Parts: sequence; structure tokens; C-alpha cells
Amino acid sequence: MVDAKDEADIKTEPVSDGFGNNHANDARLLSASPGSSAAAGNSKPAAGAPEDQQTLLAVLQFLRKNKLSESAEILRREAGLPEEVLDLKGGDSAGPGQGGSADTDGGDASSLLSRVTVSTPGVAKAPTKAGEDQPDVNVVLSAYSQQGDPALYEVYYSGLKKFIESVLDCHRAELSQVFYPLFVHMYLELVYNNHESEAKAFFEKFSGDQECYYEEDLRVLSSLTKKEHMRGNETLLDFRTSKFVLRISRDSYQLLKRHLQERQNNQIWNIIQEHLYIDIFDGMPRSKSQIDAMSGSLAGEAKREANKAKVYYGLLKEPEIELPLDDEDEEAENEEGKPKKKKPKKDSTGSKSKKQDPNAPSQTRIPLPELKDSDKLDKIMYMKEATKRIRLAPDNLPSICFYTFLNAYQGLTAVDVTDDSSLIAGGFADSTVRVWSVTPKKLRKVKTAADLNLIDKESDDVLERIMDDKTASESKCLYGHSGPVYGISFSPDRTYLLSSSEDGTVRLWSLLTFTCLVGYKGHNYPVWDTQFSPYGYYFVSGGHDRVARLWATDHHQPLRMFAGHLADVTCTRFHPNANYVATGSSDRTIRLWDVLNGNCARIFTGHKGPIHALAFSPNGKFLASGATDGRVLLWDIGHGLMVGELKGHTDTIYSLRFSRDGEILASGSMDNTVRLWDAMKAFDDLETDDFTTATGHIHLQDNSQELLLGTYMTKSTPVIHLHFTRRNLLLAAGAYNP
Amino acid sequence: MSAPKTIPKDAQVMIQILKDMGVTEYEPRVINQMLEFTYRYVTTIIEDAKIYATHAKKSNVDADDIKLAIQCRMDQSFTSPPPRDFLLEVARQKNQTPLPLIKPYTGPRLPPDRYCLTAPNYRLKFIQKKVSSSASRISVPRLSVGAVSSRPTTPTLGTPSVQSVTTKVGTPVSLTGQRFTVQIPPPSQTTTTKTSKPADLYNRTNPDWALSWRLTHTATPSETDCKPSLYKTNLKRYKREKDRRHMDEYNTTRTRVDLHNVHEPGSFYCLTYHATAY
Repeated sequence: MVDAKDEADIKTEPVSDGFGNNHANDARLLSASPGSSAAAGNSKPAAGAPEDQQTLLAVLQFLRKNKLSESAEILRREAGLPEEVLDLKGGDSAGPGQGGSADTDGGDASSLLSRVTVSTPGVAKAPTKAGEDQPDVNVVLSAYSQQGDPALYEVYYSGLKKFIESVLDCHRAELSQVFYPLFVHMYLELVYNNHESEAKAFFEKFSGDQECYYEEDLRVLSSLTKKEHMRGNETLLDFRTSKFVLRISRDSYQLLKRHLQERQNNQIWNIIQEHLYIDIFDGMPRSKSQIDAMSGSLAGEAKREANKAKVYYGLLKEPEIELPLDDEDEEAENEEGKPKKKKPKKDSTGSKSKKQDPNAPSQTRIPLPELKDSDKLDKIMYMKEATKRIRLAPDNLPSICFYTFLNAYQGLTAVDVTDDSSLIAGGFADSTVRVWSVTPKKLRKVKTAADLNLIDKESDDVLERIMDDKTASESKCLYGHSGPVYGISFSPDRTYLLSSSEDGTVRLWSLLTFTCLVGYKGHNYPVWDTQFSPYGYYFVSGGHDRVARLWATDHHQPLRMFAGHLADVTCTRFHPNANYVATGSSDRTIRLWDVLNGNCARIFTGHKGPIHALAFSPNGKFLASGATDGRVLLWDIGHGLMVGELKGHTDTIYSLRFSRDGEILASGSMDNTVRLWDAMKAFDDLETDDFTTATGHIHLQDNSQELLLGTYMTKSTPVIHLHFTRRNLLLAAGAYNP
Repeated sequence: MSAPKTIPKDAQVMIQILKDMGVTEYEPRVINQMLEFTYRYVTTIIEDAKIYATHAKKSNVDADDIKLAIQCRMDQSFTSPPPRDFLLEVARQKNQTPLPLIKPYTGPRLPPDRYCLTAPNYRLKFIQKKVSSSASRISVPRLSVGAVSSRPTTPTLGTPSVQSVTTKVGTPVSLTGQRFTVQIPPPSQTTTTKTSKPADLYNRTNPDWALSWRLTHTATPSETDCKPSLYKTNLKRYKREKDRRHMDEYNTTRTRVDLHNVHEPGSFYCLTYHATAY
């Protein structure tokens, strides 16, 4: 390394032959000094490691920059460095005019670049144009350093714009992806370095060119003009430190790289290197529509290897339950209900094959609670109902029963329905939770301890006797939260109710005594959503602190933390096999997390607004998501690709649900409609050839109109919740909003 | 009503701010709420800055004080969630531990009791009253003959720790000469107990007289109500009757107290009884 420096040294300028040589201003290579000093055999200070040397030089630069010449002199003398000055002030650089004089420097700069990157591998900083050539100051002192004159940012940007507009059409779409992250990072850099007026001018000039779906972000940015404004905004800070991912084909990438490196646009090149991650693939460049479909999130797209891990999306095997025949079975159409036949019938709705589905997780992958007797009874009921289920099809649409919450005064914030559709719970902005009984059977509490002592414990109907009939009522109100209740979930065995609220807690309520049992404190910020797992015991919650947590009812602290989103987690859902959790977020991505080890297994980008609804298909293979942009996107979990886009809604989609057999997808939205889509057809004939899976390209068909089976308007009632009963009747819920 | 011709300048500024931040739909009250918040925030900051300036012995408040005030307030009220790298680190540590095995079903799966909200959040105070008379100590709260030192109310009595019931069950209590105290703990009194002669039902001149709401035939016979010769018999009959009732009540009270000792979490058991003045 020393030799290389030597050569460069000799090549360029008159070599400084030791210390004390007073050179004129011209650019002196930074590494020339250590090189020459080593060559001259002068004693180098104890900072043998290149990094320490760089640090020393950085400090020297800094002192010089701040015009502390005496201290700089003392430091230089003591450190044994030759006098060299690299003090091209930013102000006097006149942009492209520098090009001439900086040509030689440019060459040196790039060689310097290579040397610096070799010597400091961990830091991706390189000297830039003939502006302030301070790689080490950048490294050592700040994250967002001054990389050039603020007035020149506009010039760089327009230069790049001109270039990109002049390339071939096929490459232009891909290279245009660079505009937005570059714009944001340059703007943030200007703001961070307190160049307020330049930042504003920069913003005004170029914000209009960005894609329309970044409008919200740009509006947030426009209000951010000072460095202090950036402090509290966690999302922006995350954006600064995380890398924006772009997928560009190799040809386009080569074009860009060549252009940026041959001119003095190392400025932009450095920003790209620092803040962008370019995922290069071999193949045809993508078209604009393909890119538009996948982009829109705060962190760019997903890297391809992020979606390569194996995901066990199959369902767990149902346990074999003996279906006892009831003698009192009064079902008319039940032919097996002959009292004479005493042989119990084995349950046959479980998987027939004895082989393990290769895509299904093993039964013991995560510990699950065992089935109690009451659970077995529930399962039997479930199977009985399943036999009476209506088969849905495009020509056999479900009936929709709408539960309207009257007089809620826009306070209804969450709704859930039990699996057997016997109870509805509503969470309200006044921090109450109310539970209603849908069936004529009233809600009963367990009797007080005094009365429980008086009942006959040996009687057959003891479970009925423990219920207190005196306080039976249609609805029960649960008080306890101190903020609006944003998420509600019933447990599968109907004994517990979870509610998550703005006060940062998740509360577990008992539906036998209608009292609060536990408050789970972990999020210190509003918790936007919560859900029980399909087998009970575990539940997941996601909130404003950008993490989703997995809890078990008998642990007061979370078992898993799913951190990775750049903005709030707005929606959390369990996979039907309870091994994975999907979270949708305000950063417009959906992540699939593995419960076993907390890793992010999939990242899905493509939505242009915060995601508010998620639904897994009953077979576990697909995920549907709805966001504020009014689109429903369909994802193949196994391959990690987008497989469908359903356009039609005009406002935020707040609820999605697949029918019990997965043939119909229902979506409810703020535009007061419920729409039914043909899920079977959407998932048929997927092109999953190797090319698609390798590169992640998708060819989305624009067949939303064909897939739309029906639109049902409500009377100015946004649809917050959808639920298919066990017999495939669709229930919907919302608050009347005149 | 006519719309105001000019909106105050502050409100106009607020409307402009809302427009700049992209908020287009809002109720008119929002402007007022925002203005109130602004006023409160600004005054808090300026007050804080004044304190910092005086602490630094400066005569005027300057920009540094304001900056410090803003920073302190930010850390206090407007906290933001932890930064991403911290979250990732914490998550990494938490996700390393394997998922705990699930014990077989032994009742509802809840965290240890101290993390649940099922414990009673109240405690009933039991006040031990000293009885100055020669009568044996009565520790079971029960109504006894005699002085009602406070207005009869419906106190909630009962205590998690009840002393053993004295075996005064059988002895009939005679009224004459005995003074008992009612174990209704008045809120103000702690240890002293007033004893006095029983207040007659119709002794309206007595300052302790209180209108009784149980004006039945079991009222204490008074000398003025019947013939003097009958007074004593009446009194004795009344006493016997009263003791019978008293024993009944004592027995039921005792069973209730026993039940109360079986302390279920979450159940609110309240011993109530009505003070009846016989």
C-alpha cells in the first residue's frame, strides 16, 4: 500500500520531500503525505494502523477547515506529517468549471477512492469531486457530511435527470427509480447541514417530478426545513440509516455507473453507494408498469434474497376426533344419525393422507396447547356445521348480513366476531369494550363465590348452574382501558377477549366473569392491532413503536419481538398454522415473521399507502392485503411474489376475509361498499416458472373487472369488519356515519 | 347567524398551517383546539426558559434558554419510540430464547398473580373496640342491645381476619344493667367507645334519640305505653323475643363470616347488615 502511494505520489505532483516543505495551495493528495513520509523514512507516529493515520489526518483537516492554524501547525509538527493542504473551499468552486482543473484530481480522486476504500473497508466513503476532499472527516465526524457545495446539488440532480432522459426507453424506467431516493437523501443532507434556503429551493424545483405515489412523503418532507425537525421523527431517521433497495437490470446499471464515474459526478455516485442498495439481476429490464406495481414503500423494494427463505405455509394436521353419534340427534338430513348404529364415526375432514405435507410445519415446531375436552366438543360442532356449509361460486354468491352500530358517533374503532358467530365485540373511542350476543341466548356471568357454594356440584348440568341468570343481559360492557380501543380479538374457545388500546396496554378479559384478568404492558405507545392465534394461548400485537410482539397468555412479557419495520405496525395476523405472523405497516410493506426464531421470512412491497387489512387464505398459501390506496394485492407466500391486484375500491380498505373454502374474497372499505372477488380464479394459472421466481418479475394481468363478482353499497356506513360464518354466510359490521 | 367577518389573525395562521401540512378536512372546532394547545405549549416553554435563564443568572431570556426548554419538554412529553438499532438489538436477544413449553392444562393459563388484575384492590378495615363494661369482649361484629353511638347506617363490615367467635352464644343477655357497645365502626372514632343508657324509642328528649325506621310491635316497651304492672312482663317478653332474633342473626352472621374466609380472588364479598334498633 505504501508503494502504491509512492507511485501515485511521484506521478502527480512535485513530491514533498519531507517535512517543513511549504507547498502552495494546490490539491495535495491526502495519502501522499503518509506515503512520502514513509518513503522518506521519517518516523511515523505511533499510529501505525492506517485507520489511526486517517483519523489524525481527519483531525488536521478539521482544524484547518475551522481556521485553527496554530493548533493545526502544532499537531502537524508533533504528528510528523508533512505540510500539505487540501483546502479547496466549497465556495469558490464553480461547478462544471472546475472540471478542467479537477481532471487530474479526478483521476487521483478515483485512485484515492480505491485506496481509501481498501484501507477503510468498513466505511463506504470516498472523496468526491473537487469540493471539500475530506473522506476522513466524513468517516470520523458525521454521518451526513457536507459533500459538496449546497448550491451545486441542483446542478448534479439536473445533470442526472438529463442523462436519464437521454437513455434508451427500455432503461429509462429502471433508472428513473433512482430519482426519488436520491432526491430525498440530497434534501435531507441539505437540511441536516443547515442549508435551509438551498434545501427549499432544491425541493421546490424537483419535488414535482417525483412519482405521484410518493406524494404523502413529500408533503411530510416539505414541512421539515430545519435540523431540529428531524430529531423527533423516527421514521425519517430510519430512512436515513437504512438502505433504499432498488432492483435494476445489469445493463441499466452499467450505463448508470459508467456515466457517473466518467464525469465529476462522484457526488451522486457516493450518495448512491451510501444510501442505496442496488439489487442487480441479469435479464430484461423491467417496464414501467412492472416497476410501479412493486414500488411505493418507504424502503424501496425487497431484496431478492430476503424472500428466498423456506416458509412452511401448509396447514397443520387436524387431530383425529371420534365423532360420537348422539341419540338425540335431530338433524333431518343426517343419515348417519340412526340411533341403532352405535359405532362412532371417525372424523374424516382431516387430511386423508398419512404423509406429511412437505410444505407444512411439523406439529411440534412451535409448542401448541393440547386440546381440552371442550375444544374437542367445539371441533365436533365445527365439523357438523361444515357439512352444512354452502358451496360458494361466482354464480352462487353468499348472502351478506350487515350489523350496523347505531349512535356510535364515529367512536367505533374495532370489531370482532367469534368463529361460531355467537358473539360480537366492539371497541370504542371512549375506551369501552362492549360484547353482544348475536343469538337469542343471553350473556351470563358466572355466579359469585357465595352462590357457587350453594349449588349442587354433582349435577349433570353444573355448567349451566354456575351461570347467574339474574344478571343475564343482551350486552355487557367492559371498562378498564384508558384510551380508545383499536384492536379486538376473541379466543377460539370463546373464553377470553383481547383488546388493545391507545394507552399502550393489551388487556385480557374473561368472558365467563366479564372482568379484566391481565394487562400486558410492553408497548409504551398506542397498540394498533392484536389477534389471538388460531389455537389460542398465543397472541400478537403491533403498535406505534414499530415492533410487533408475540405473547402467551401466561407470560407477562412478550416471547418474541418482530422488529424491522420503518414505521408503525398497523395490522397483525396469524397464519392458519400459527407458525407465522404477517404484519402490515405504515411504511407500506408487509412482512412475514417466523414465530420460531423471530426472523423476517418475507417482505412484500407494492402498496402505496399504509396497510390496514390482511387476510390469509384458508389453505395457507396466499395472503391478501388492503391499504389506503384502495387496492387489494394478492401474494404467493411460498414464492414470495405478488400474484394479483384487485382494483375497484376508491377508499381505504379496512377489512378482508376469505370464505371458508377460499373461493371468494370479500373486502370492505371506507367507501361504504363490500366487494366480492373471485379468489379461485385469481389464484389459478400462476406463472411460476424459474425466471419469475429468480428475478421476482411479475406480469400482472389487468383483470380486476373480471374478478369482481359484486359490489354492495351500504347506507353511508364504512365497513370495518367482515366475517364468514361456518356455513358461509357473510357478516359485516360498521358504524353508521351520516 | 352571520359568519364573523374577520377571523382573528391567530386563527388565520392556524388555518394556513393546517393547509401546509396537508390537512384539508377538519371540523371547525379543531382550529380552537389547536390554538389552545399552541398557547399552552408556548407558555410552558417560555416559563421553563425563564427558569433556566434565572438559574444561569441572566437578566434576559435568550435563544439558548428556549432551545434548552424545548429539548427538555421533548424528552418529557413528546417522547418518540426507541431507535431502530436498539429495537433490533433487543429483538435479537429476545428471539434467541426458545419458545417455552406449555404445561398441561391446570386451569386458566394466566401469568403469576402479581401480574394479573384479579386481586382485590381494596381492603376492609376491622376496628377492634374496647368494651369498658364488665361484659365479655365481643369480637364478632353483631348488633347488640344498647347504645347506638352513631346513626344507624348500613355499614359494610367484615374483615379478612376475623377472630374466633366467642362462645357467648347461649347466654341470654338481659338488658338491665348491661351495657354493650355496637360494633359499628364509625368513621371518625377509632378507639373510644361511648356507652350510655339505652335510648328509649320514645325518649325524644334524649339528645341521642334518633328516629327509628323499624317501628314494629317489637319496639321496646316503655313505661309510658302501658300499665305499670305490665311493664315488667312486657319487658321480659320483649327481651326474650329479641334474644331469639339476635341468636338467629348471630348464626347467619357467623356462617357469612365463614364463607367470607374462603377468599376467592376477584369476588367481592360484603358483609352488610342493617342496624336495627329494637
